[in-house]
Amino acid sequence: MMRSAPRAQTIKKNAHRNLRFGWWSLLVFLSLGGALETLHGFKIGWYVDVGNETRRLMFTLAHAHGTLLALINIAAGLTARNVDRFELRPSVSFALIWAAILLPAGFFLGGIVIYDGDPGLGVWLVPVGAILLFYSIACIALDLSKLK
Amino acid sequence: MTQIATTGSLPANMDQLELAFNGIEYKVERRRDAFFVHKRREGASYGDGQQIVLVTGSHTLQVPWLETGQGRTLEQFPFAYIVAERMWAPVSQTFLFPPDLKEYYSIGAWNGACMDCHVTQGQSRFVQGNTWDSQVAEFGIACEACHSEGAEHVALNRNPIRRFKIHLTTKSDPSMTNPSRLKGPDSGLACGQCHSVWAFNNMTDKIDFNRHGASFRPGQHDLAKRFVVQPSTSDHTDQKDFIHRTEPDFFRNRFWDDGMIRVTGREFNGVQASPCFRGGEFSCISCHEMHLDTPNHTDVKRWARTGQLKPEMDSDAACLQCHKDMSARLAAHTHHLADSSGSSCYNCHMPRTTFGLLHAMRSHQVSSPSVKESITYGRPNACNLCHLDQTLAWTAQKLHDWYGQPTPKLSPDDQTIAAGVRWIVKGDAGQRVLMAWGFGWEPAQKIAGRDWLYPYLIYSLTDPYAAVRFDAWKSLQTLPGFQNYSFNYTTTDRLLSDAAARAYEKWLHEVRDSNAAYRPETLLDSNGRWQQDIFQRLRTERDNKRILLAE
Repeated sequence: MMRSAPRAQTIKKNAHRNLRFGWWSLLVFLSLGGALETLHGFKIGWYVDVGNETRRLMFTLAHAHGTLLALINIAAGLTARNVDRFELRPSVSFALIWAAILLPAGFFLGGIVIYDGDPGLGVWLVPVGAILLFYSIACIALDLSKLK
Repeated sequence: MTQIATTGSLPANMDQLELAFNGIEYKVERRRDAFFVHKRREGASYGDGQQIVLVTGSHTLQVPWLETGQGRTLEQFPFAYIVAERMWAPVSQTFLFPPDLKEYYSIGAWNGACMDCHVTQGQSRFVQGNTWDSQVAEFGIACEACHSEGAEHVALNRNPIRRFKIHLTTKSDPSMTNPSRLKGPDSGLACGQCHSVWAFNNMTDKIDFNRHGASFRPGQHDLAKRFVVQPSTSDHTDQKDFIHRTEPDFFRNRFWDDGMIRVTGREFNGVQASPCFRGGEFSCISCHEMHLDTPNHTDVKRWARTGQLKPEMDSDAACLQCHKDMSARLAAHTHHLADSSGSSCYNCHMPRTTFGLLHAMRSHQVSSPSVKESITYGRPNACNLCHLDQTLAWTAQKLHDWYGQPTPKLSPDDQTIAAGVRWIVKGDAGQRVLMAWGFGWEPAQKIAGRDWLYPYLIYSLTDPYAAVRFDAWKSLQTLPGFQNYSFNYTTTDRLLSDAAARAYEKWLHEVRDSNAAYRPETLLDSNGRWQQDIFQRLRTERDNKRILLAE
């Protein structure tokens, strides 16, 4: 089945948004990884001291989730471009982008101010991001399944 | 603290360790990550190995414990590792014990006594004979030792909303005891549950403690089944009479005759007896911190070695927290230069009159120096702990002139012989060991001079008490010409005498400053030789009563 021109353009635009975001996001979070390694390298107490273990965990999770979600955004964009009849809906595209912002940002902000073994308030962004991620991944999986 | 014996917790040189003491040879064998001790009488064959299962102590002295095959009963490895010296010595020579006492802690001692404080919530659980089924909540001094039981705290704080409510308000968590938020006496008792001389209220309480462990929890107002033994107070008279009857040396081995504590590890006795304690705010954590709250101020190893003090608490700042007005009139109060060691609050009001772990430590009973304490109770006064070369009469005169203290009746020796000389030659072992350590104390050396200290420290290398010999050796190493002086303080009397004779010759002919002048009170003539008649008299008059200061 041939796609209509405007519809094809919308799909392409959504895919391009996730691809563009994904690559920039990958750059940001790989840079964060480099920054964390630097903190390790210079044994910065604010990051490596025993009492700051929660901060270290939060920043590590921010780095890992940010990088992984950047790759997921790229994968979603490439899927939309390359799978026939698959449409990356705007709500799904934005949910995926916001998940990739809120999840790592929640971990990162939660690590800036810590309370003994607990992260700071920013960590409450994490479940919001997780819900958006779950929604977007579920939609993509269902939409792909419908193509059979 | 007591830890599981591992390659990490035991001293580094355990493998192939071979030692001998009191007619028995010991050899340590390593099997994978475990260590086994083989024993034999001299000339006989080595027996089966006993595994080293626990080790008590970490910063200063480490004592390993061996399995016995009888339940959880432990036997002491008869040697202790002196961390600073990286050397092994018989345990009985790492405390101030009489020379005839070869073994102090025996089979079951850890179960019956040590574990009361060297673990968290220990239960000795005596079975029969010398068999124990001891159990602990945790090895080491863990969170609950100071913060009380944590089960409810843990359960409640599984709820993140509750945790954030506490984080984001100034409210403290009522489910956990925090000694820093308690009144001084209750806060101090959290430490004092172990760091005091305590006894059981009665036999029933003792049996219950043995079976179930301490029922005291930090935050409570008294020790429940136990009480802090203060010889000079009017409480628990029946119990203290019972102790007097059943263990006559109990008080003498722990307290000076006026009731001031004289052994280390029992600092709460001193804190509780201090005038500062009556204010209701003063406690251990006025000066100490149990978590390194300001890690940038010092490194953790140094902090652990130096009494776990808060920042600046090794200075007058400790006392000036309350005695704020004193900083403006310090020199007028002390009659010493404001920046001198004579104006240090600690040096006058918390002198080093307690002993343990082979060194003198500051008394934690805040007091003012007097000559009476030296004459009546035998305790070296703070003035003469620095002015070692001065007589008690000199001190009495100063204290009379400056503070109006009445001058006590003084003997001819009190008026003519330096207090330091009399204590190190004629004193009992408790006085001698404080002097052997004190002669190496830098502030005292600066004030009293170093030249005259050599012969007395060398003389003390042959003292019958091993702890005195150890401290004399370490103090001798602080003096020019003897910095690298090696000496085996645990060897035989003959070898000790030979070593001391060689050291004396070295000092007299190689190290001694021929221009040195000696005050007559030091009993040395212009050639550095003793005034033999007086020196020999003091030796003859030495107080040989048995002194046993453990911890």
